[in-house]
Amino acid sequence: MLLKLAWLNIWRNKRRTIITATSVFFAVLLAIIFRSLTDGIYDNMIHNVVSYSSGYLQIHQKGYWDEQSIDNTFEEDEQLYQELLKNPNVTHLIPRLQTFALASYADKTKGVLILGIDPTKEKVVNNLHEKIIDGQYIENVNENAVVLGEGLASQLKLKVNDKLVFLGQGYHASSAAGKYKVKGLVKLGAIELNNNVVYMPLKQSQFMHGAENRLSSISVMLDKTKNLEKLKQSLQKSIDPDTYEVMTWKEMMPEMDQFIEADSTGHYIIIGILYFIISFGLFGTLLMMIFERKHELGILIAIGMKKRLLATILLLESILISLIGCFVGIIAGILVVKWFTINPIHLTGEIKEVYEDYGIESIIYFSSQEKIFIVQTLIVLVLSILLAFYPGYKVMKLKPVEAINS
Amino acid sequence: MAKTIIDAHNVSKTFNPKTVPVHAVQNVHLHIEEGEFIALVGPSGSGKSTLLNMMGGLDEPTAGTVFIDGVEITKLSENKLIDFRLHNIGFVFQSFNLIPVLTAKENVGFVLQLQHMSKKEREKRVLNLLKEVGLEDKINSKPGELSGGQQQRVAVARALASKPKIILADEPTANLDSKAAANLLDIMAKLNKEEKITFLFSTHDQRVIKKARRVITLVDGKIDSDVEQSPT
Ligand SMILES: Nc1ncnc2c1ncn2[C@@H]1O[C@H](COP(=O)(O)OP(=O)(O)OP(=O)(O)O)[C@@H](O)[C@H]1O
Ligand SMILES: [Mg+2]
Repeated sequence: MLLKLAWLNIWRNKRRTIITATSVFFAVLLAIIFRSLTDGIYDNMIHNVVSYSSGYLQIHQKGYWDEQSIDNTFEEDEQLYQELLKNPNVTHLIPRLQTFALASYADKTKGVLILGIDPTKEKVVNNLHEKIIDGQYIENVNENAVVLGEGLASQLKLKVNDKLVFLGQGYHASSAAGKYKVKGLVKLGAIELNNNVVYMPLKQSQFMHGAENRLSSISVMLDKTKNLEKLKQSLQKSIDPDTYEVMTWKEMMPEMDQFIEADSTGHYIIIGILYFIISFGLFGTLLMMIFERKHELGILIAIGMKKRLLATILLLESILISLIGCFVGIIAGILVVKWFTINPIHLTGEIKEVYEDYGIESIIYFSSQEKIFIVQTLIVLVLSILLAFYPGYKVMKLKPVEAINS
Repeated sequence: MAKTIIDAHNVSKTFNPKTVPVHAVQNVHLHIEEGEFIALVGPSGSGKSTLLNMMGGLDEPTAGTVFIDGVEITKLSENKLIDFRLHNIGFVFQSFNLIPVLTAKENVGFVLQLQHMSKKEREKRVLNLLKEVGLEDKINSKPGELSGGQQQRVAVARALASKPKIILADEPTANLDSKAAANLLDIMAKLNKEEKITFLFSTHDQRVIKKARRVITLVDGKIDSDVEQSPT
């Protein structure tokens, strides 16, 4: 009965209801597209960055993160891989041995970061082979050659096929030394990496450091990126917590996490403004509704309708209008996002180059997480309920005689 | 002796007591018994509406007490008073009495719904009521599709719906042409005669006054005369 009355009432002024519902519709639609777009961009950015560096999660020997020395490495263990792969969200495991050494070519010497990698596994998750700008990519873990960051190569003034000498510290205070041919140069988006990195086949690196079969980390790639903490916990549980530590990319790269947080704050403000505007529209409609109907509301109270009941009707009216807008907005939002998920935007021209310079795929993906849709609807609903408190409050204060005479 | 419906003692109402006091009603005593048919008359501004509102528990007197059917309504809390009105008092206002989005049937049934009457009982009662006011062929019309007189008749039917002790009507014919006014009064008189419904209505209209059996005249917020007459 109340619902019916509320429903009939909102159609008393069709035009106004449609305008109000339409403004809710656009707000919901824009908010969804906006959220989906920014989330998609962040996800893509994170994916690109972590696939070069840490992985979404990373496994170390316990204590490695605090003291990143070769002595804090652990033995590569097939059983550990098996255990980690049991988790259905884990897609790839990338073993690495990370060390620092001095690299010399001719009269130039420089401190470098040596990443001992499995070239095939690396290729799958971060397309490292496509970043080669000169020479060739390394083929397997045993190959006797290295790939250098293009920035490092130019600092050392060396070219493909030149030989580079490394000198560093090996496992258990042994010394590490080796001479390797430079097989290729990669251009990487991350400047730091581009200027310092040496990719060395894993077995070669282990051999040079006297650290046979030892790894400093296993990077874990995931098929979903939310609930990172939970996944971390469950991985940690599945492997020996006294031997290994599991860390998330947020723990390892707090700057990036903070950057995203800060950047999202700006987006929240934009969405906030959007909602502020529709709140005004909705509020105006509600005010008009009770202003125009004062006489009628007075009569209803006079003939014995409890004020609380009347306030409920006004609340329902507000909710109904915003629900209509929300509902259509969500459907449109789902369709738009769906369309862009199937047909992601491929950037072209200059923007494309900027993206690629930073090592990020030049494709804009939309995030189609249900959470976005649900949260946006809830926000609008909560808003309309909050707004409806004002007319409700007005009704509670209404004096029937004055209302009837107005 | 007939049952007392309204018993008002020494009722006064002063508007804006602190700024520019208006003594709209002053020291009125009023005694109304079941089955009476009373016109409340007087010049504009004499306090008719104010008095009616206080008798119906829509407005609070500044002084005095009002009993309706033995209940001192001037002492009830707001919610109790709303409930009391729902079950004991029928109202007909000057115009726009009805909920515009509901049909005649739904408007009359609304009060019964507030009383939680079952749907079946309600339907029956609403049909009877609309028949009594001569609108059995308009049950599904919305107020906008009815003439002013028809709307007022629906309002009377609605006022009757809860079987109230009394129906208070503030100038129910003010917006009607003389024919519709006479028709409405005839219906009210018939209900009064056949069903012993008590009516207290205010009016300016001489022809309406003539139909009353008791005429109370207010002047400057005071009862100037209170006479019985035979209706014509
Ligand atoms: N809310 C109010 N505030 C201040 N004064 C009021 C208010 N309501 C009524 N009055 C004053 O009280 C007096 C009585 O008004 P009331 O409406 O009861 O007269 P009435 O007899 O019904 O007049 P009418 O025949 O014009 O309807 C008038 O002087 C009026 O101006
Ligand atoms: Mg009046």
